[in-house]
Amino acid sequence: MSIESEVSLDGKKLTIAIKGRFDFGSHQQFRESYERFYKVPEIYIVDLKETTYMDSSALGMLLLLRDHAGGDEAEVQVLNSNSDVRKILAISNFDKLFDIS
Amino acid sequence: MSALAPVLEALTILIAEDSAADRLLLSTIIRRQGHQVLTASNGVEAVEIFAHERPQLVLMDALMPVMDGFEAARQIKQLAGEALVPVIFLTSLRESEALAQCLDAGGDDFLPKPYNPLILAAKINAMDRLRRLQATVLQQRDLIARHHEHLLHEQRAAKAVFDKVAHSGCINAAPNIRYLQSPYALFNGDLLLAAYTPSGDMHVLLGDFTGHGLPAAIGAMPLAEVFYGMTAKGYGLTQTLREMNAKLKRILPVDMFCCATLLCLSAQRRAVEVWNGGMPEGYVHEVATGRRTPLISRHLPLGVLSAEAFDDSTEVWPMALGDRVFLLSDGVLDTADANDQLFGAARLQQVFAANREPDRLFEDIEQALAAFRGQARDDVSMVEITLLSAPPLRVAEPMYADSGQSSPLDWSVSFEFRAQTLKNYNPLPYLLQLLLEVHGLREQGGALYSVMAELYSNALEHGVLGLDSALKRDAQGFAQYYRQRNERLAHLNSGYVRVHVQVSPTDQGGTMTLRVEDSGSGFDIEKELARPVDADRLSGRGLSLVRQLSSAVGWSDGGRSVCVEFCWEALA
Amino acid sequence: MADIHLDPDVLSGLQDVMEGEYPKLLDTFLDDSQKRIEALRKARDDAKALGRIAHSFKGSSGNLGAVRLAQLCQRLETESVKPSSDLGELVDQIDHEFALVRPLYESERQRFSF
Repeated sequence: MSIESEVSLDGKKLTIAIKGRFDFGSHQQFRESYERFYKVPEIYIVDLKETTYMDSSALGMLLLLRDHAGGDEAEVQVLNSNSDVRKILAISNFDKLFDIS
Repeated sequence: MSALAPVLEALTILIAEDSAADRLLLSTIIRRQGHQVLTASNGVEAVEIFAHERPQLVLMDALMPVMDGFEAARQIKQLAGEALVPVIFLTSLRESEALAQCLDAGGDDFLPKPYNPLILAAKINAMDRLRRLQATVLQQRDLIARHHEHLLHEQRAAKAVFDKVAHSGCINAAPNIRYLQSPYALFNGDLLLAAYTPSGDMHVLLGDFTGHGLPAAIGAMPLAEVFYGMTAKGYGLTQTLREMNAKLKRILPVDMFCCATLLCLSAQRRAVEVWNGGMPEGYVHEVATGRRTPLISRHLPLGVLSAEAFDDSTEVWPMALGDRVFLLSDGVLDTADANDQLFGAARLQQVFAANREPDRLFEDIEQALAAFRGQARDDVSMVEITLLSAPPLRVAEPMYADSGQSSPLDWSVSFEFRAQTLKNYNPLPYLLQLLLEVHGLREQGGALYSVMAELYSNALEHGVLGLDSALKRDAQGFAQYYRQRNERLAHLNSGYVRVHVQVSPTDQGGTMTLRVEDSGSGFDIEKELARPVDADRLSGRGLSLVRQLSSAVGWSDGGRSVCVEFCWEALA
Repeated sequence: MADIHLDPDVLSGLQDVMEGEYPKLLDTFLDDSQKRIEALRKARDDAKALGRIAHSFKGSSGNLGAVRLAQLCQRLETESVKPSSDLGELVDQIDHEFALVRPLYESERQRFSF
């Protein structure tokens, strides 16, 4: 598992890419991936292209990110989830909170 | 001696050496390095001294009379047990066979002759570091073992407390519930609750908190409390859900929530009402046709949304007596094989399809899981509830502390519930509680609640909302009926339901008359009452139930007003 | 090296290490060595015993700087496990070597007697 994050040149978009398993072991790294930036971006992107697995703790981490990004006003997009991950997001109905594609 | 490596801590060192000159030389060197010295001139002496004095380190000549160093080292290592007592062999042995013999006997290092004081000091220090490391490791191992034991003890205690709360419902007593839960599923966040409502419906909750261990288990207590408290008082699923969601939202950290399926099985209404937020699909199994209707997750889990944003809309499915509802936790579907392949819903469907004896479904699933993976997980929960005819009605009573002297016997009260209130407030629990102040009614609490519930929902659904009960003829119409109910209720902006209660004393005891009026268009009383009582029909059951349970029923105002009477005899 | 009977550097090193105990070390060595010489003579025909005594004697003589004596003991120890070795010859050499170094140790010891 590894988590990388980067901010777009204009500073408006923070992209967090998660490789491998996204589970309770990722907690610290995931938090750091967005807390380490001083400037607050407008859009948060969680890129799950290389995420192989996701558990309910990972869903909790997405909620933490959403909270950090401003709660109901937050714009958090979850991108490129594979079919297994998509199923987990669908069962939890996270599409009601996140922009999932 | 100051040039030597500094001594960390004075050790007691045993020197076993048969040559007196070497023994004297070595003792002097070591004593000068700040350690205490014990000496032995053969293996037997060495073992004896070790047993009595427990030195921390041993310098051992390999070849000695009486007992050689190899045997002595072996015995000393055995006496030392788990603690590391380093044995340094004093030897100029050059053959690899002899060196191997030293290692076999438990030797940790060698010191060649002639002795070099610097190397000797360095070796003693190195061995002392190893010795301390081993001591620390042992100490920490023991500490971890104690912590672990402590944790298990706490878990057992927590589980015992929790079992009392969780199983205070009817989960073990009800004849129509079968469940399977791994013993410590609670500490994986799984939660299973069941209880009867005052009217004999059954509420069931299967939940799954995020995370593992105590944090996952901790939310279970308040959830169970709300579930049991509100179910016993006669609250419906939606109110109970709202309360559970609000409570969890308030007490849980942002990243914790509870996936849950909540059911209300009603034998009276031959239906199951379902709310699923984040749990895998359960099923309603229609035994007659073999059809399985999935109970799909439509909502975010409990504890995620604010009270304002929370969606409490439920789905209702018809059930015949003997039909079953099956729920499961994701531990079943997420059981992974050696290659990280998940068991998944498709394999579960295969088990369903292959199942010949409905009563052996759990065993079939367990077998399939075992065949798939080879070992059990600790977060597998399954529950199956069969719809049986209603149990005898009774209120799962809260304890009454008063003696009966203060029972109110001559009073009346009227309510009018208007559109905005009808949308999302259920007045029945409040009314029930009020009526149970009358001690004479307590024995009939269940029947009273059932009748009130029936009259209230008739007034609301057929009266205010104008829904046609004929719709409920078949399963499709049934679903349509409840869809319409939700839609019309959501858009309601006029209308009312009035409830009048009158309690009067009589010579024998007392009577309570309950009148329910609605703003609807009424119905043809004669025609409705003329319909035969047909237990298998999905519609029209309500009125016959009311007629069975209350002393007298009468309609007036073109069906817009109904009045029932309950009587009781004075308590001895 | 073969010609060194007594290494003076070893003796001065020992004197540093032992300080006041140095004369006692010399006494102990001489006494101990005398016993081993006698034991070697007695065990002339017992190869196994000779090997064991030689091993031990080699250790202490090495520690005390009797270089050639230690070498001879080493040879005896090595030869003792070979079949048909003439161990008697080696025992004689050791006997002879000890007779040679003994006065050297005694005179060293004399320096410390008051």
